[in-house]
Amino acid sequence: MALIEVTNLKYRYPHTENLALDGIDFKVEKGQFIGIAGENKAGKSTLCQAFAGLVPTMFRGAYGGKLLIDGAEAAKTPIAELCQKVGLVFQNPFNQLSGAKDTVFEEIAFGLQNLGIPREEIFKRVEENLKLLDIEEYRDRNPFDLSGGQTQRVAIASILAMEPQVIVLDEPTSQLDPQGSEEVFRVVEKLAKTGITIIMVEQKMEKLASYCDKILLLHKGKQIAYDTPERIFSRDDLEELGVKPPVYTQVCRALEVSRIEGEDRLYPVTLAQMERLRDQFPPTLTGRTFVNGEQEIDGQEVFQIQDLKFHYLPDIPVIEHLDLCLDARPTAIIGQNGAGKTTLVKLLKGLLKPNAGNIFFEDEDISQKTVAQLAGKVGYVFQNPDDQIFKNRVMEEVMVGPLNLGKSREEAQKLAADALEMVGLTDAAEENPYDLDLSERKMVAIASVVAMDTKVLILDEPTIAQDANGRVVLGRIVQTLSKKGKFVLAILHDMDFVAEYFERVIIMAHGKVLSDGLGEKVFYEKESLLKARLEQPHTTRLCERLGYEGAFLTAEDMKV
Amino acid sequence: MKNLFKTKLNAACFVLIPACIGINYLGKLFASVLKLPLWLDSIGTCIGGILGGPIIGGICGAANNLIYGFTTGDSITLVYALTSLGIGVAVGIMARLGRMEKLSGAILTACVAGLTAVVISTPLNLIFWGGTTGNIWGDAVFAWSQASGLPVALGSFLDEVLVDVPDKLITLLIVYAIIKGLPKKLTSLYELDDEVASLD
Amino acid sequence: MKSISLYVDKDTCLTRLHPFAKMFYILAAVSAPLIGGALWIYGLFLAISLCLLISGKIIRKVFPLIAFSFTIIITIFLIHGLFNQENQKVLFHLGPLAFYEEGLLYAARIGLNILNMLLAFATFVLTTKPADLVDDLEQAGFSPRFGYMISSVFQIIPQMMGTMNTIMDAQRSRGMETEGSLFVRAKAFIPLISPVVSSSLINTRERAIALEVRGFDSKNKKTFLREHKLAGKDKTFMLLMALLIAGSIVWRVLTWL
Ligand SMILES: Nc1ncnc2c1ncn2[C@@H]1O[C@H](COP(=O)(O)OP(=O)(O)OP(=O)(O)O)[C@@H](O)[C@H]1O
Ligand SMILES: Nc1ncnc2c1ncn2[C@@H]1O[C@H](COP(=O)(O)OP(=O)(O)OP(=O)(O)O)[C@@H](O)[C@H]1O
Ligand SMILES: [Mg+2]
Ligand SMILES: [Mg+2]
Repeated sequence: MALIEVTNLKYRYPHTENLALDGIDFKVEKGQFIGIAGENKAGKSTLCQAFAGLVPTMFRGAYGGKLLIDGAEAAKTPIAELCQKVGLVFQNPFNQLSGAKDTVFEEIAFGLQNLGIPREEIFKRVEENLKLLDIEEYRDRNPFDLSGGQTQRVAIASILAMEPQVIVLDEPTSQLDPQGSEEVFRVVEKLAKTGITIIMVEQKMEKLASYCDKILLLHKGKQIAYDTPERIFSRDDLEELGVKPPVYTQVCRALEVSRIEGEDRLYPVTLAQMERLRDQFPPTLTGRTFVNGEQEIDGQEVFQIQDLKFHYLPDIPVIEHLDLCLDARPTAIIGQNGAGKTTLVKLLKGLLKPNAGNIFFEDEDISQKTVAQLAGKVGYVFQNPDDQIFKNRVMEEVMVGPLNLGKSREEAQKLAADALEMVGLTDAAEENPYDLDLSERKMVAIASVVAMDTKVLILDEPTIAQDANGRVVLGRIVQTLSKKGKFVLAILHDMDFVAEYFERVIIMAHGKVLSDGLGEKVFYEKESLLKARLEQPHTTRLCERLGYEGAFLTAEDMKV
Repeated sequence: MKNLFKTKLNAACFVLIPACIGINYLGKLFASVLKLPLWLDSIGTCIGGILGGPIIGGICGAANNLIYGFTTGDSITLVYALTSLGIGVAVGIMARLGRMEKLSGAILTACVAGLTAVVISTPLNLIFWGGTTGNIWGDAVFAWSQASGLPVALGSFLDEVLVDVPDKLITLLIVYAIIKGLPKKLTSLYELDDEVASLD
Repeated sequence: MKSISLYVDKDTCLTRLHPFAKMFYILAAVSAPLIGGALWIYGLFLAISLCLLISGKIIRKVFPLIAFSFTIIITIFLIHGLFNQENQKVLFHLGPLAFYEEGLLYAARIGLNILNMLLAFATFVLTTKPADLVDDLEQAGFSPRFGYMISSVFQIIPQMMGTMNTIMDAQRSRGMETEGSLFVRAKAFIPLISPVVSSSLINTRERAIALEVRGFDSKNKKTFLREHKLAGKDKTFMLLMALLIAGSIVWRVLTWL
């Protein structure tokens, strides 16, 4: 008998009409690594919650079918019992903290204490997991004072430490730096080798393709397919399902590199598989022309940062001696977790005050102004969308900014409607923002800042929780606003997204700028990338492996 | 009516209580920062009563005063644990009777809560501080009543009425506005009919 | 994050004393004078409290607490000194106001009671870390759910302050003036109430889910990270307090006879 058996699982949330899960049917063997893919609102998180018993025990609603885990029926087992078998890591790490513990160490120990694990064992496991997720140095910090990525690591560690047989992870790497997410995948794979069963929701298709044994493809609550990554990503209807295959597969499709198995045409989904088909690739490609030497755009300086210094705790400097000049080109800041990216943009926005140094915005020192006075010029979207929602109707929420800037109600309404259309949420205007999903809340947050029509737009990790379509929408916003002469500055962990939509790229590590320049240049500086725990975009890596000369950043660059 | 006191003691409730206590604290902070002649320290207790029912409301109220009393050394707060408990229960009952659906009901609830507070607080005031409440306006009335020779109990009662009823009125109006704005995702967690419908 | 607890981290005997022993002291200090009924018992306990506070090196932290309760004590003195119904004998005049002996005596009793309770609580509050208290309570058989409730209050209030700051940041990012004169800052407070309260409530949903998957409702016996039993010293202290209470009962009986 398989370890997990799902038969005709159906579920509907209370007060809703549509089924969130509709006839899910699959089996998982012990020690398998299963991926779940699908667009936003496909029902991925709902399925994860069904594994942990939260659906339906906690949320109630309407439930049908069966979900058996190791012989126990999930819907009928108390959650406290089920959680010893199934560990669930949430989509939003800020929500996973117990809220009763003062230190990271105690936070990770919390679950183990509840389960009555012997004390020595608790200490041992917590230590192990602190090491495993590279958060040892924060062990005595308050879990609420960590950066986004650090919080996510704590959340993962606290579940791993409980050592359940089945681990369900709901987009566990959304806020991690690229090497950090690679590490999480490696850790999880190692667990799978020891017989622990892994179920993971992810938007990073390249990762799913290379680590998963099988992928479950969901769409609008229905199960579309349950198969090997190769077969899933070779489907022709992926676009309609709102899923983008791995970059490797996109490239192979464009270049018609494939193999035939039985009656199916299969495209490679990982680097290794591609190398096996090396002979089908064209011998040379031109790629982008390398731009040597920086062509600064003069007279368009937006921000001028001089010898900036900042710390939260007196003995831990976050930003030291930073000099930087930002012009109107769309710019991405990339760098490891805790590098000080969020801190830097908060300083730019005036929300934090520098301990030393100056920031000039359009030649004016911003320390002379209040945040509200700058609001009409500099817009900032927070990393966690829940931090900036304070009305109970989406429309009202988006109108707050324009109204504060002194616009009339009609004007504000017009601006808000335009902004909502831009993010594709026109239909949600009358909803309570908190009733929306995380991906939509993030969009509401963006719309509410876009509506203020500021010269500068700062986005802190806008791609969190967004599916392929969401990313395209975001990319379009970046392009449209840049074309209108606005300055878009974004913090990102998604290198492919950076490569596709941003001209200038800044690498940050430990509060310093390691590298700065056009994407074509920065993404070939391997040493800096490594130091900042980053990776090259997938296309770039691919072309290097295949031995092409030249600069390649996106799949489009690989045209013959 | 048998649902009036029905309570589910699940994690959701044990999380609601500290949040409500925190809200009480915030309300008190607002009142003192803005120098309002109100307490505003039972917003959370009322919300607890409305979402979780009279029992949770009562626990919120009592725990609120006990925890603050024991940790901030504010023994004055400690004495009024009983009052807070009463307010939580009263608001919880009114909410279960469906009175918090409309504005008029909220006002009625405010009166009930205010009177409950008065009835419980007055004896406490008499026992512990000889009738005063510590609120300047209320105590002025008490002083006046004593000067004009009214009985201590009546003076203290008037003192309490003057302080508590308007305070609860404002409190419940704020609570009403907040409850109306809560998302369905949250409120459905505290709904009473906990049957899972079958789709088979 | 700033804590709301008044705990002062000092390494003294009083800090090391088991929380239960300190709670027992509160019980004795509050009940003995009420049982004994004589004013001098208040004095005795006030003296003991002061000694304890001095030995705990925290006497300075007590003054703000006393100052805080001063307004209420003064009101009581004014009202009863002037208007108490029992008032008969004028003690002294202050301008046009006549203060009476009976009222003042009555007020003195209430004032001493308040002061006594305050100091007794201070010995406990200033020297006990809330997290340790909760841990000890749970080890003594207190329900971990209630334990969670208490320790979570200590986390949630600083968190709400944090949320308040974040929301304030979000509001000023969107153009609402929150900096400047006192009036501007006070005005900025009002639009904060509703979002801070709503978002804390909404967080409770996520928090509840988080607790469930971390085995909060588990029937297993909880493990404690550190063992803390009543030591001989603590027991002696408690015995002493029990004697004081017994003494006050004896006194009461004697004065009755
Ligand atoms: N608590 C809830 N109450 C009501 N409806 C909900 C709730 N949670 C989710 N839904 C709805 O159920 C559907 C599936 O949501 P789910 O969160 O499972 O999607 P998802 O695939 O995880 O999406 P995402 O990629 O955005 O995380 C959506 O239509 C969503 O709006
Ligand atoms: N409120 C705070 N108090 C104390 N330290 C903080 C606080 N906020 C952030 N830090 C610390 O400052 C450093 C920089 O944090 P910041 O949030 O700027 O990182 P980041 O580059 O945005 O990381 P991430 O990619 O994980 O979001 C981190 O080490 C973090 O732990
Ligand atoms: Mg999801
Ligand atoms: Mg950040």
